[in-house]
Amino acid sequence: MKKDLEKIFDDVVVNYKEGNISRRDFVKFLTISGASMGLLGGPFGLVQNALAGKKSITLHSWGGSTSEALRQFAFDPFTKAVGVKVIDAAFTGMAAFLTQVKASYPPGGEFNIAHLSAVYDYARYTDLGFGVKLDESKIPNLKNVMSKMTNTLKAISNGTLSAVPYDLGQTGIAYNTDKISKEKAEELGASLLYDKSLKGKLGSWGGDHITNMWYAALHTGQDPNNITDEKAVWAALKEQRGMIKKYWASGSELMSLLGNSDIYATVAWSGRVGLLQKEGHPIGYLAPKGTYSWMEYMYVLKGTDLDLAQKLLNFMLEPEAIKAVSIGMGYPPSLDPTKVAMPDEIKKLPAFDPTGTLEGYKFADPVYWNAHQIDWAEKWDRIMAGK
Amino acid sequence: MKDKSWKPWVLLSPSLTAIFFLLVIPICFVIVYSFWLRAPSGADIPAFQFGNYAKFFDDFFYPSILLSTLRVAFETVILCLVFGYIPAYFFYKTRSRFKPFLMLLVMLPFWISFIIRTLSWINILGDSGLINHLLLKFHVISSPLAMLYNEGAVIMGLLQYLLPFMILNIYVSLDGIDKSLTEAAKSLGCTEWQAFKEVTLPLSLPGVSAGCLLVFVLTCGTYLPPMILGGPGNEMIANLIFKRIIGTLDWPFGSAISVLLMVLLMVIVYTYNRYMGINQIFKTLSNES
Amino acid sequence: MIRLFTLLVYVWMFTPIIAVIILSFNPQQFGSFPMEGFSFKWFVKLSHNSTILDAFKNSLVLGSCTAVLSTAFGVPAAMAFIRYEFRGKQFLNTLLIAPIMIPEVVLGVALLLFIRWLQQPKSFALLLIGHVVLTLPYVLLIVQARLVGIKKEYEEAALSLGANPFQTFKEITFPLLAPAIFAGMLFSFTISFDDVTATLFWATAQNQTVPVKIFGMLRNSVSPEINALGTVMIILTVSTPFLAGYLSRRFASGK
Repeated sequence: MKKDLEKIFDDVVVNYKEGNISRRDFVKFLTISGASMGLLGGPFGLVQNALAGKKSITLHSWGGSTSEALRQFAFDPFTKAVGVKVIDAAFTGMAAFLTQVKASYPPGGEFNIAHLSAVYDYARYTDLGFGVKLDESKIPNLKNVMSKMTNTLKAISNGTLSAVPYDLGQTGIAYNTDKISKEKAEELGASLLYDKSLKGKLGSWGGDHITNMWYAALHTGQDPNNITDEKAVWAALKEQRGMIKKYWASGSELMSLLGNSDIYATVAWSGRVGLLQKEGHPIGYLAPKGTYSWMEYMYVLKGTDLDLAQKLLNFMLEPEAIKAVSIGMGYPPSLDPTKVAMPDEIKKLPAFDPTGTLEGYKFADPVYWNAHQIDWAEKWDRIMAGK
Repeated sequence: MKDKSWKPWVLLSPSLTAIFFLLVIPICFVIVYSFWLRAPSGADIPAFQFGNYAKFFDDFFYPSILLSTLRVAFETVILCLVFGYIPAYFFYKTRSRFKPFLMLLVMLPFWISFIIRTLSWINILGDSGLINHLLLKFHVISSPLAMLYNEGAVIMGLLQYLLPFMILNIYVSLDGIDKSLTEAAKSLGCTEWQAFKEVTLPLSLPGVSAGCLLVFVLTCGTYLPPMILGGPGNEMIANLIFKRIIGTLDWPFGSAISVLLMVLLMVIVYTYNRYMGINQIFKTLSNES
Repeated sequence: MIRLFTLLVYVWMFTPIIAVIILSFNPQQFGSFPMEGFSFKWFVKLSHNSTILDAFKNSLVLGSCTAVLSTAFGVPAAMAFIRYEFRGKQFLNTLLIAPIMIPEVVLGVALLLFIRWLQQPKSFALLLIGHVVLTLPYVLLIVQARLVGIKKEYEEAALSLGANPFQTFKEITFPLLAPAIFAGMLFSFTISFDDVTATLFWATAQNQTVPVKIFGMLRNSVSPEINALGTVMIILTVSTPFLAGYLSRRFASGK
């Protein structure tokens, strides 16, 4: 019975997308099928669950508005269609999550899908053997995703995907437009973060060395993915440390430091700047040449039911779902704007690329950064501690 | 109660079982890990070498973090003692009918998430926090004082976290003191202060020392106040462990630092047990009475 | 003097907490002084967050179970240490209070390594026993400190009058020990209720607790929402110790 309904549902979705059914009828169908599922899920559902072993799939994401949008636009329709519950869990941080995955048994077994950041983390998860091979034909919505993004990931995992790109972000520079003029900011670029007149009013992200080294490399005129003069980078960071008021440790801390004018300039996650601007704070966003760009993707971990995961990913890539999530987070979606029309709200987001080619977006080279990870992380700790 | 040597073991067996499986064995895993190597990807390679320990003592950086942790812990203990003893003594003395209420108030902070309590200091000490706001408003200062992100702020956070532990420990021990003892001392001509010094204070020492130990040890193991209220130079040893284990996924090195910290704390607790041990105090008490 | 000083300690302890409550009504994005208006905006936002409510339930269940189990384990152990002489006593006493000496990060990962080696998935039972181990030292320390003050002679008298050991415990030791047991329970509840680090590692996605959620929110939400959550927790939890206090007084007077 449930299987049949599932099939009907799939047919209806296909019809809806091909334009055979109006949105109104589609919504009506959703409601009816939801209600019938609800009836089925009552007394029969209990038995079914008991027989089949309660099925669920877990997705770790950022919580808050991200999770609300996902629930409304992707999880609930998915549960209605497939009858499998989505447990949305929030992780507490990228690094902590990797630790949890590494320490779990069976490897990755307790975890299914995770909303991860940065290409070098994709490489880490894949190198540690947590990856899977997704069947792209089962995720038709993947065709709307910017090909530059999928190709970047494929290059790491031997031509197959273990994740679908979901959104795009940058770590650019945020500055207080009341205190720093736009002209000055644009003229200085990355060197704004090293401007002596801002002593005691600068901030930086204390969580990783990559962001800090990246901008130090730009400041000293080097390619961040191929630092030739490492000494100059460390010297710049050492000098900068004396001018930093606070190395922030979280997105909310970044926002409150900027919003309260505790600091005037800092490296900043583009989505957070977008949220601040939406609130009407006098915060400008600067993306100098070579700005540190990254992507977020939905990584499927080893041990997950791939059929189920692929179905869920397809729901999550539905344009309506991904747009809503994108607005909630403040990061532009991974969808190619030349293929899918974007609302103004998304077009205004920092890091949005209208061309869909990501020309000039510089991502961290995973091989380069992962090779030096421990060594540089420890050096960075010493710089930060002022020793 | 003679010849029943099996009895304490029966009483101890649930705790010992739990501790053995959830503490002793896991800690052995940590010790084993501290000799391993870490691959660049973050995987661990079984090995037996002392490189992780050698790295810790390579230069002064890591030991200096350990030393500053001990200094902060010591300062916190002293402050907790001063700010904790007096309220505890007040509870012991008072006959107010509000006493249960006041006691509950001491417990209250426990009920509020530690993170929230730590964050709350930002509202007080920050550039636009309560103190700066008031001082600016009454023109005492012209620009905000920088009170956050230094060692003082970290100690504030620690103090708020740990003070209830100290107060309760001292109070429990004070509460066990027979009040007639001080009365007797006073009837023999002692002043209030002398009675306190000669009778109450010595008898409250088990609680004081237990409280001090607790505060010291907890300070050494905490990482949230330095993370939230401290500046980059105020990191403590637990932050370092957190960073190595979670941040860089360097479990072997993180394990090695953990082992060093555990050894250090064990020496301290062992010394405490040896010279101020609960058992020791019990003996002196029973001998005197 | 003492009274004034105590009052100051109270003021110092509660100012930040009161600031949290006041600021949670601040409609501004970044709750700071001065207040600009009064609104329930952040509470409304919070009420849409169903995961927090689930987490709250998890926290309460976990905390209560931990409190009961931890005292059930801890009180007999404390009796053993104070009332009996046996070999290795010092060592075992140190061993049992060891969990507080070990940073939770280490304990968290250590237990996970072990569980992975056993090839067992994580579960609520693991989380619970883990919390019992974390809180056991506090129960032990508190109960021991109190037990030292209870003279052995009382128990011996009861025994010589023909009471069996259980009756002795029930009629003599337990009533005298009750404040410490109660304090121990409250302590273990609150420690379990408040624990971030270890829970972070041990909890499965289904039994996340409130502090872990807040730890995550630090990264993902804005501070007034955390203030609002703090306020809700304060209001909801304040009633609990007061209720407990009331029950304990009834209990004490009913002996």
